Amino acid sequence: MSIEAIGAIGAVDTVQPLGALGAPAAPVAAPGFADWIAHEVGQVDATLATSENDLRRLATGQVQNLHEVMIHMEEAKLSFQLLAQVRNRLLDAYQEVMRMQV
Amino acid sequence: MSYQAAFQISATGMAVEKLRLDLTAANLANMNQAAPTAAAAYQPLRLVSQARPLAFAQQFSLAGGGAEVKAVVPQAVAPRLVYEPGHPYADAKGMVAYPGVDHTAEMLNVNLALRSYEANLAAFTAARTMAARTLEIGGNQ
Repeated sequence: MSIEAIGAIGAVDTVQPLGALGAPAAPVAAPGFADWIAHEVGQVDATLATSENDLRRLATGQVQNLHEVMIHMEEAKLSFQLLAQVRNRLLDAYQEVMRMQV
Repeated sequence: MSYQAAFQISATGMAVEKLRLDLTAANLANMNQAAPTAAAAYQPLRLVSQARPLAFAQQFSLAGGGAEVKAVVPQAVAPRLVYEPGHPYADAKGMVAYPGVDHTAEMLNVNLALRSYEANLAAFTAARTMAARTLEIGGNQ
């Protein structure tokens, strides 16, 4: 009596033993902290440039609504403050490490 | 919801109220412009605003989408007829057609737009203060 339903189990023989598998692929390197902070600084700089551009357009009379300009300036200010706070935390952590007794 | 989204919601409300004030100012400016015929008289403009329909990505968040202008509608109100026989636009009966602008209602509209703008500004300021306070977490008091 042939049991066809489990006939496919013979294909298991062709599976290579685990040890023969190649070493797992090296994990993709996470972007370094320097890259990250450079990216964030770049974004803050872009917001500042946007608000500066808004101000220029306001001065030349090309802006219809004043509140958009002010809101963009507020957003730029907030993102800059966030950047400054990140810098403060990092500096605190660094100084904490430097004070550590070895 | 990000703080920039909160700012944008307030910004849409402020834009709507700004336009409401602009339209009211236009109505007031044209209040005393006589017209050659009654049909040609200036029709006061009214702002129709609505809640901004949510974008697809916003459907899954709890935040609203702000307000937007739906239409600016001229109101077909009857012109105000004033007896001025000497006026160049006077008709056979000496009546001159002036726009049917309701002065009291327009002044109320001015106040409404101003207060609504201030309300949007208060909401914006609250969101900004919230964000600024958040940045103080863990800081040196």
